[in-house]
This record gives sequence, C-alpha cells and structure tokens, in this order.
Amino acid sequence: MSAFAAIGKSARRVEGREKVTGTATYVADVHPRGAACARLVLSPYAHARIKSVELSAALQVPGVIAAFSGKDIGGAEILAIDEVYFAGEAVAVVVGETEAAAEDGADAVQVDYEPLPVVSDPIAAMKPDSPLTRAAQGESHDDAGAHGAAVGGAGTGRPKPRNVNQMVEFQRGDLAKGFAEADVVLEDTYRVARVHQGYMETQGSVAERAPGGGFTVWTTTQAAFGARDETAKFLGIPAHEVNVIPTQVGGGFGGKFVLVEPLAAALARRVRRPVRVILDRTQDFLVSHPAPGAVIRMKMGAKKDGTLTALEAELVFDAGCAPGAPTGIAALLLGGTYRCPNLDIVGYEVLTHKVSPGAYRAPGAPQAYYALESHMSRLADQLGLDPIEFRLKNAAKEGDIRPDGRPWPRIGLIECLEAARAHPMWRDRKKLGADEGVGVAVGGWGGGTEPATGGCRVNPDGSLTVQVGSVDITGVNTTFALIAAEVFGLPVEQVQIATNDTDHAPYAGASGGSKTTYTVGAAVLAAAQEARSQVIEMAADRLEAAPSDLDIADGRVFVKGAPNRGVTIGELARLANRFGSRYKPLHGQGRAAVHTASPGFAVQLCQTKVDRGSGMPRITGYVAVQDVGRALNPAEVIGQIRGGAVQGIGRALFEAMEHDEGGQLANATLADYTMPTAADIPDIEVVLIEVPSELGPFGAKGVGEPPAVPGAAAVVNAVEAAVGVRVKNVPIKPEVILDALEEGGKR
Amino acid sequence: MAKEKTIRVKVNGSERRATVEVRRNLADFLREDLELTGTHLGCEHGVCGACTVLVDGEAVRSCLMLAVQAEGHEVTTVEGLTTPDGEPGPLQQAFWDNHGMQCGFCTPGMICATAALLRENPHPTAEQIRERLSGNLCRCTGYQDIIASVLAAAAEDK
Amino acid sequence: MKAPAFDYEAPATLEEALGLLQARADDAKVLAGGQSLMPMLNMRLARPALIVDINRLPGLDYIRIAGGQLQVGALARHTAVASHPEVKKGWPVLAEAAAQIGHDAIRNRGTLAGSLAHSDPTAEHPAVLAALDGEVVVRSAKGERTLKADDFFLGYLTTALQPDELLTEVRFPALAPRTGSTFVEFAPRVGDFAVVGVAAAVTLGGDGSWQDVRLALTGVGGTPFRARQAESALKGKKPTAADIQAAAAQVAEAIEPDSDIKASARYRRHLARTLSERALTTAAERAAGQGGR
Repeated sequence: MSAFAAIGKSARRVEGREKVTGTATYVADVHPRGAACARLVLSPYAHARIKSVELSAALQVPGVIAAFSGKDIGGAEILAIDEVYFAGEAVAVVVGETEAAAEDGADAVQVDYEPLPVVSDPIAAMKPDSPLTRAAQGESHDDAGAHGAAVGGAGTGRPKPRNVNQMVEFQRGDLAKGFAEADVVLEDTYRVARVHQGYMETQGSVAERAPGGGFTVWTTTQAAFGARDETAKFLGIPAHEVNVIPTQVGGGFGGKFVLVEPLAAALARRVRRPVRVILDRTQDFLVSHPAPGAVIRMKMGAKKDGTLTALEAELVFDAGCAPGAPTGIAALLLGGTYRCPNLDIVGYEVLTHKVSPGAYRAPGAPQAYYALESHMSRLADQLGLDPIEFRLKNAAKEGDIRPDGRPWPRIGLIECLEAARAHPMWRDRKKLGADEGVGVAVGGWGGGTEPATGGCRVNPDGSLTVQVGSVDITGVNTTFALIAAEVFGLPVEQVQIATNDTDHAPYAGASGGSKTTYTVGAAVLAAAQEARSQVIEMAADRLEAAPSDLDIADGRVFVKGAPNRGVTIGELARLANRFGSRYKPLHGQGRAAVHTASPGFAVQLCQTKVDRGSGMPRITGYVAVQDVGRALNPAEVIGQIRGGAVQGIGRALFEAMEHDEGGQLANATLADYTMPTAADIPDIEVVLIEVPSELGPFGAKGVGEPPAVPGAAAVVNAVEAAVGVRVKNVPIKPEVILDALEEGGKR
Repeated sequence: MAKEKTIRVKVNGSERRATVEVRRNLADFLREDLELTGTHLGCEHGVCGACTVLVDGEAVRSCLMLAVQAEGHEVTTVEGLTTPDGEPGPLQQAFWDNHGMQCGFCTPGMICATAALLRENPHPTAEQIRERLSGNLCRCTGYQDIIASVLAAAAEDK
Repeated sequence: MKAPAFDYEAPATLEEALGLLQARADDAKVLAGGQSLMPMLNMRLARPALIVDINRLPGLDYIRIAGGQLQVGALARHTAVASHPEVKKGWPVLAEAAAQIGHDAIRNRGTLAGSLAHSDPTAEHPAVLAALDGEVVVRSAKGERTLKADDFFLGYLTTALQPDELLTEVRFPALAPRTGSTFVEFAPRVGDFAVVGVAAAVTLGGDGSWQDVRLALTGVGGTPFRARQAESALKGKKPTAADIQAAAAQVAEAIEPDSDIKASARYRRHLARTLSERALTTAAERAAGQGGR
C-alpha cells in the first residue's frame, strides 16, 4: 500500500479552471429563455393564524405575472396555509419579469394575521405554562439524519416535559455509586447558540417544464436525487419525470438539501414559464435550516488519579417548529468519547416558534463537545492534572463500548491527543506572555454511510471519464480522479469527472456526513477496477497473453517481462468502440454499500491573547490535529480541516442567530451575523494523523466534519488558560470576560 | 418604462451599451444584461465582497453602485483577468495552483480584490494581504490557501 | 433584495443639483459614495422617489489647504483622505480614522461628507469632526451656511441638514503646534462598524502640561459625544497616567449609551473608558514625542 502513484499526492481542483475564471455555473447563473423570477412573502409573526391573503394589489404592480397564496399552491411544506410557526415562514409568492418587479409585487401583498402566543426559548418552552408549539405532529425534517446523525436511545420512563417532541436516554452502571467514588465532582451548564451554515451562495432553484413532459430543475443542492424525489412527490408525479441538474454549490456545509426546488417546479407549472427562485441573503437567513442552539447541563466525577467515575448530562436542543434536531448523536458522542462506567444522559428535543434546524457540519457534535470539553478541562484543572494527560487516561479506543452498547471500531483519538501533546504550542504553553494561553479540545464525528454507484468509461484518447451522481462540495471530484488515476496508473489530468444530472447519473446519496469519499469513492474505486479488468481482458486477447501476465503503466498495457509487447489503452478503446467491433465497450461500473462507518477524531490547540481593554480574545495561533485515515489528496484535506477549524472559531467568537422573545431574528444580514474574516484568523497548522480505515478507499475516512467540532471549547479553554476566566456560553461576549476580570480573574 | 436609461460602459476592454432600469445595480447589470456571471452576489448589502469588481482600476462592491453610475467608466470583472484567449491569467492560475479556492463562490471577488491590492503593492506581506482581503468573506478555506495564492502570485510577478 | 423604483438624476452642475433638491425636497435623496445608501436601498429601508447622484458634479473631490484650514469637498473618498500627504501631516487623526472605515472597496467609494451627512451613530468621522472643532458647509438654492458638530448632529441618523440642502465641504482648522492626535476604536470583528471609537487631539504647552485637550466619542449615543468635562479636568495639568485614568472614568460616567444587539450600555461605558485612556495616552505621547503633531 505504500507506493501509490496518485494517492497521497496533492492535486489541484479538477474544476479549478472554471472557478478561477468566473465561468463556473452556480444556480443564480442559470437563465432559461423566458425565465420569470419569484419572490417569497414571509410572515413577520413567529406564530399567527393567517386570516386572509390579499393578492390583487400585487397583481396590479407593473412587471408582476402572477401571485399565489399557500392555499393556491397547495402544500404547507413550502407555503403556510392556515398558520405560521416561525417568523420568516413563507405565506405567499409573487412571480415577476425581474427580481425587482417580483419584489415590488411582494411588497404589495397584504396578509391579515391573528397573532398567537409565542415561545422562542427552549427552556421556557418546557415549562408547564408555556404556549404550545406544533408539538409532535409528525413531519420530521431530517437533513441531520442524512448525515448519519439519527441515533436513538432506550427510554426509561422519565416524564416528557411540555413541547418536547423526542427524548433520548442512555444509561449505564450505577450513577450514584459513581459519584460517591469520585474525589472531584463538577456540575455546570453550557449554552451554544443557534448558528447558520453561512455558505456564501444563497439557496435557490430554477425550474422549467421539460419538452418531453415533467420538469427540469437546476439547483444548488448536496443531494440531487433527494431533491428530485421531494420535488416529484410535491408535484404528484413519478420521480423519473423530474430531472435535477445540480449546479456548482457555493458552500453547503449541510445546509443545502431540499428547500425551494418543489416551489420552483410548482411555479413553472402554474405560470407556464421557467421560474427562478433565488433567495436573497436575508430571506435565506429566515427560511433555511440552521444548526440548533443547545443548553447542556453536565455533571462529572473523577478520582484523584484522573479516572472518570460518573457522567450525568441533560441536553436540550432547540428544534424550532419541527422535529429533526440531532439530539441522539449529540448524546452518544458526549457519553462515548471517554470511558466512563456510570452514565445517565438524557436529551430533549424541544419545539419552539423558530424555523426548524437542518444539518450543519457534524450536526449535534459541536454542541456536545463544547460542553464535554469545557468540562473536561475544568475537571483536569480541579484535579491538578494536565488536560491532555487527563483526556488520554480516559479516551475511548477500539473495543470500548459506547453508550448505545456498540463497540468503537479502530479510532485515532489517542493518536491525535498524543500528537497534540507533542506539539511545541502545547509544550511551550507556560512560556507565553501575560494574558496569553493555550487551550485544547477534542471533537469527533461518527461518520455516515449510504450506498452509491459510479461509472468509469475508457475513452479512445486513453483517458477516463468517471461518472457520478454525487455533488462535489468538498473537492471529492478531484479525489475521485485520484482514485481512478491510481487504479490505472494514469496522471490525474487523464481523468475527467462527470457529475451527471439525475436522468443520467448513477445513483448516489447526499454529499454530507463526511461520507462521499468514503462511499462514492468506494464505488468509483470498484468502477475503475472493473474497467481496468476489462482493459486487461481485452488486451490479453489482443496480445495473446494470460491476463495475469499483463500490467498497465503510462497508459499502456504490456506483457510483464516483455514491455515491447503491448497496446495502449486508447487503442483498445478505439477498437472496442469501432463499428462492427467484436469487443464490448470498456465501461466499468462499481457499486458500494459500505454500511459500517469509520468515526473520525480531531484535537485542536488554540492560542489566544485576551485584550484587557475590551475583553476580546484574539486568536494568535492554532493547531488542528486530525485522524483522516489516509489523506488521498493532502492539500485539499488540509484545506477542509482549516476551513472547519475556522467555522469552529466563528462559533466561539462571533456567530449567533439572535432571536428575541417574540421569535424575531434580529440579525438576518451578513453585517449583523458576523463570520470570521482573514484578519481575524491566524495561520492554522494542520497535523495529519493516518490511522487507516479498513473500509474506506485506500484507508480514507470522512474528513469534513470533525475539524468543525472542537473549536468552541478550544477557544474558551484557551481564554481560561490566558486570564483565568471561564466562559460558559458561546459565542463569547467579550463583556462577560471583562466583568469577570474586574471581579478578579485568577491572574 | 420611464425609469430607464441607456448607458455605455467599457467592460473588460469592450465598449458595452445597454438600456437598464435606473435602479439596477452594477452587479445585476454585469450578470443579467451582459451575462458576465462570474461576478457573484452573496449578500447585496456590501459585506461579503463576492461582487467585488474593478472600476477604473479600484476595487468596488458592484452591489453598492448603480449601473448608471458606471456610465463612461471602465469596469474589469473576473472574466477580464484571463489571458486574451480565455485561459486563466497569472493571478487566477495562482489561485488554482495553490488551492486558493474551494466552493469557488467568493473566488471572483477575492481575485478582483487581490488584483487591486497587487497593483498598489506588488509585494505585500501576509499580514497586509489578510488586512486587505478582510472585506471578502470565505466560508470554506479558512483563508490560508488564499493568502498563499496571493503570495505566490506576487512572487511570480518579479 | 433589489432597490425599489426611483427616478434618477445626475446633475452636471451644483446649481442644477440644488435646484432638484429644492423642487423635490420631500422625496429626494442624495447619492454620493453610496456605501450606506445603497444597502438601505437594496434592503428597501430607504424608498426615495428621486435619487440625486452628485458624482458627476465637477471639482468636488478636492482635498486642499486654504488659510491653514483643511477643506474637503463632498466627493473626496475615504481612500483619498486616508492617503493624502497633507492630511497625514497636518490632520493625522482624520487620516487614521478614514483608514479604519470598513474595507478597501468601501473606502474607495465612500466619502467623508457622506459619512457625516448619514451620521451613523458608530461612524468614525462624526467623532473626528467633533474633536477637531471642524465644520460643515451646506448649500441650498437659497444660500449657504456653516455648522459645527454640536449644531449639525441632532440624533440617531439625524442631522441639521435640510432636505433641500447639500453638504458641499468639510473644514478642519489647523492643529496647534505640539499637538498629538489619534483615533482608536474597537469592533469584535476586524473592519466592522465600531462598537465605540474615540478621537483625541491634545496640545501640550511649552512646560509639558495639557494646554488643550479634545476628545470625542462615537458609538455612545445617537450623536458623537464631545467629552468637555474630562477635557477641562485635564487642562493645565501635566500628563500623568492617573489623571488620564480619572479623565477616562469621567468620560464613562458622562455618556448615556444605549444597549443593542452589538453591546450593552454597560459594555459601551467600559469601552469608552478604556479607549479614552488609550487615545489620550497615545495622543499625549505623540504630542510630547515629536514636539507637535
């Protein structure tokens, strides 16, 4: 396995040319001839009955073509009909000649609402006197499930509080005994804000009637087949009558599954013209599905030597107005990362009057690890132990039983912790100046699986075309090219990747859950291997040699030991494609159903300096250690890890969707929802650990999600190391640090 | 409609003429009227920087300028930074070769902002690059490979 | 997020512009750099019936010195102000403030005059105008008047500028010899609107004592706050850390900031204190260090 030709060598993006020259097609760039533009009318109320929707004034506006209420379109999934459950829920839509005209029309729509009681905070929602939300009415919105985040635990008969849709519970051992054995017991509550994926391209879809019946939908999605199925279901037509053409995705991070595809198609049907539904930034903030906020109460006990004895936790996830929060996976990771004999974890999925969350990079994990890793560092402090040694003493390894009763497979948590411990940033952390400190935190992700297929065509010029139905959101197409190139011993430039539309693509699931290289990559590997077998078989016939005597190098098949006897791959393909040929075309197909995930772990070190004038911590150094199984394309793996780490830093320092008590989102712009800029972030040093997966192609594991997990805890742990102030809620409010400093931090 | 105006703008070296609504911003003019869709709209309120283009050589948010204001001025978009035959120009090549892009949505704005920076300061430090590009948001890369791309482009240009 | 429909005029002369403003005073809006107005239009927070684009008015982008006074025309952009050699030499606090506004692309379009006319409560320039005892020249078809900061800034996004008036010039008197100045601000994210910002200009006498102290803050209320009490408390004394701290504390006492989603009133007070301390210290050092500006 050591001598790879292509794998493990950094390749630049196969789609790089179009992206750097501005010719890549994103959904807003799609303009079918005669396309009209749609604009949503959103509810200003977080909870209200819709008494009437008056469209006539809108229809008088110049440039307006049509206007529809929810009732007109039929289907509460995309436009509310009788009642709205969050501020920003769409109640009507206006179609115009231009986006500006549609917006003029939308301004003229008059909706009469009867406001109803609102509960915006999940803790308030659990109180017996809280207003009721649309509790437990079914309809799960499960993008997080598509990430492999759907995990349940057995119930133990705890009462279910008001507005709680689902509870998960994990128990083990004897909790009281565990706490009794502990020398130190620490209890506290942590809060993590609701945050948005913050993709730079807003969501949108463009739909038109297909000439042969059905609909063509261009969309920015991570899940072309999912978008197809949902659109067809909404239209009441068979799935094959919808062809989804996935465009370049301008960032997804879990946020782009299915949103306005069904609406775009429904409008194209109604107005008999192609229709563009491109959300603007504010509407995107209001209607798309962000990551849930959480309140997590932790109680842990440990012996003087650092052995954990008991872990009790209560997780409250704010699910907004529909079920689907990743409570189960959060509880599982929270209870499974460290060995602990006595556990009691309960997770509540609470409904409130906000938009329901979707998936965002390791759904549930950043929340869980924020609480767990804050608590672990504090416990280490109280025990007088080194935070990394304390973690190493308890870190889960292969065979340890998770809270759900299943054993961990081979994981690289310990290797990551050891690498962090050896890093100069950690070793030299006591040598820093005043108000500076280094924090450490762990993060993990279970990994997802989903069956996939892929194709590999051998072309007459000797190149390969790999066909997939998965959308490239992370550079996976370049990885697929490396995989096929490796199988054939070809340079990566000789492999073309075709991300096909759903009419033409081999099936693949959503690109999410850090599983695309792991599963589609496996299918591509199988397809390339099959194509290679076909090439060898055909060459054997041509060269009158046994297949086992043949090898491939430099685009040519030859007899081992007699390199002059050979034939190029291109010649074979030309022969096979020729009129009247007796050879079958060279086309490999691969299928994969890897159904055991390979969990990935990351450890991050954050160095910060706190400004005593403002209380603001500035990040002065950052190290991201991660077990990636095997880095198939190291430069892109490193890029993923850096990007993920910065999203974690964003959660720590800046990002929160701020809702008031009435359920209004106060910061639905990029001016007010603040994401890190280049000037807020230092260089991030990435340390790759390779504990190969037994199942992923060439040992690869999912890479995208783990790096987004540890950031928040790493930053707050660094703040404590710097100035002795413990921050319990993220994002950090610098004034909280200031207040604590004035009351006398430890230093 | 009365609220229209015919404008002439030099875009990527060619004189372009179009009749636009006076309320149309420069970004929409480039994207919709001239079909130069490399200029991206990420927020339309002047924060994200994806729509950055060069107006008379200076970086400008094209969502914060009306198309009619560009009359008589010279606009360069990411499409104008290629070689004459449409191959990636040196700056674009540097972004490609140095992994300076992931999803690619912020890339045209980053490249235009960088072009303005390098015109003014051909050999900036990493810190200067971070400061100047802080008006352009990227959600994928963590910025480091973008900084590396700019440094590589600057080193190339001796 | 597309602007509502409006009429558009780009007058070629000042007279024409003033005529338009007079005729359409009720529903016209002046477009200069557009870095505040355009987002408001795109978000439909502003819905003027007429946009009067002054960018084609000739000769209004000047930055010049006349009689020792700095005069900045209505179309001088932040980038020009920040990089102008005479401004950097004679009014460094203004150049320093201009360089801290937004980002490069914003500074290339935004104007000093527009920033004052818009009067965002956390903008940099209103505080500089207040600290330097500058004045604005406003013109209408009826005539011209000049206003000092105290008379010009009336409240949150509100100035004394009448709908038929155009802010045509901003003037700053020369700084005395042995004056040091600075602009400091804090925003959690680099380049954002400041939570609080402080402009300071201090003049030291021949004996090293505070001869003149001028301190103005942004982000602590609807208008820039000139900290006159703190200023007079320092005057005549020799600069000491303790006096500066006391003055800064006095500033924090005197202001009446509001709470919003960016910061609580308490936090703004705190920042007002720490930033005032920093600004005064730096300004005094500069004054002492170079025997002048």
